[in-house]
Amino acid sequence: MKREDLIQKWLDHNLTSDELEAFKQLEDYDDLVKLSNSMQHFKAPEYNTSEALSNVMQHINTSKQPPQKKWLSIAMSIAAVFIISFGIYFFTINQDTLVNTQLAEKTTIELPDASSVALNSLSEITFNSHKWNKNRTVDLKGEAFFKVEKGSSFNVNTVYGTVTVYGTQFNVKQRENYFEVICYEGLVGVTYKGNEIKLHAGESFLLLNGKLIEKEKELKTQPSWLNNESYFKSMPYKEVIAEFERQYDVNFHVINLDSSQLFTGSFTHNNIENALKSITLPLHLTYKKTDNTITLKRE
Amino acid sequence: MPKPLHDNICDETLFTSLFEKHAKNLHNFLHYKFGEQLNPKDKVQEAFIKLWQNCGKIPSNKAKSFLFTTANNLMLNEAAHQKVVLKHQQIKPKHYTNESPDFVMEEQEYLQKIEKAIANLTEAQRTAFLLNRVEGKRFKEIAELLDISVKAVEKRIYGALKKLREDIKEL
Repeated sequence: MKREDLIQKWLDHNLTSDELEAFKQLEDYDDLVKLSNSMQHFKAPEYNTSEALSNVMQHINTSKQPPQKKWLSIAMSIAAVFIISFGIYFFTINQDTLVNTQLAEKTTIELPDASSVALNSLSEITFNSHKWNKNRTVDLKGEAFFKVEKGSSFNVNTVYGTVTVYGTQFNVKQRENYFEVICYEGLVGVTYKGNEIKLHAGESFLLLNGKLIEKEKELKTQPSWLNNESYFKSMPYKEVIAEFERQYDVNFHVINLDSSQLFTGSFTHNNIENALKSITLPLHLTYKKTDNTITLKRE
Repeated sequence: MPKPLHDNICDETLFTSLFEKHAKNLHNFLHYKFGEQLNPKDKVQEAFIKLWQNCGKIPSNKAKSFLFTTANNLMLNEAAHQKVVLKHQQIKPKHYTNESPDFVMEEQEYLQKIEKAIANLTEAQRTAFLLNRVEGKRFKEIAELLDISVKAVEKRIYGALKKLREDIKEL
């Protein structure tokens, strides 16, 4: 038997008596035994099992550990976190976003799908951003220009009717006795008294005092008010005055004037003197400005 | 795989029997692997307390490896890579002696050499070798204790023996 095997067997305390004799004949037998015996000096200190056990048991019994109760409190705190966060979630999900503009103020807002809305003065828009993916609907009071991203249908609700959009740019103007939709790009549907009217690019829909009015094709690519100018074509003069009041936060006092006569022209939003001249000169009117009141008079 | 008799060990008699079965082995294992200065007794206690705290999750057949792993980690946390030196115990002076002072001196020197040589072994070699030589454990028992194969134990112990003898010759 080989030397190595003998040593292995010796190490494993597994020598037969014959093998033991052979092992004893090895030249380094004395060395091996000496080394092995000297290992006893490195023996681990005596370990008193029963004493250690009583220590552990004492430790276990003094440290109160009802695991179930601990679990219950952890479970309850987790549940509380969930309830509170669900509460906040459901509270916020039903919150509508509202944006409005004051007199002489304009603003542009981004809708959740990157569609954008420019709001003209004294207008208000409401939408729910959490339900936006399911339901692209905004409520509008006043005037706004929409640039709608392609996607599912997009609705603009106003008191006079609903405008449905199929990915496009259009302007909606809803004022007192006045409802106008101009489509600048794509296709827009206007639902009025249950009928849907489709508007192609350049076409417009105008409702004035409950009457539908035909209009010429629009050639501009966006409404003039985005460039700080109000443009009118064959509009009753009182609409012009109303728009003026919204843009400059002033009141008009009109003397001896037929406010239903038609006006074609425009006025700027940046300079009140120029704007006043723009709307008075063509009709041969004079104006007098005192504080926030403007008096108009025929010459 | 046979289904364990108890699917957890939250029972004091069962826990006690586990303690009696494993505590001493665990202590010796830690001692030979990490040395005395890291206090293996405390680690054994901590490991068993952890076992009790997690008793609901541990089936009885997994208890041993949980204990060894936990205690080993506790040790590693305490002292990363500290050189392990196993101090040999002083030779007890015998009341009677007919050994010459020279012989006693030689004995002491030999032990010091071995002490250094043991410190030079790898952790794995030292643990297996000392469990085998000092505690008189057979390869199979060590294999079970360390969760390795008998072949691996053989290799470690024989390797340790060879390295020890080389080192002692050199010193």
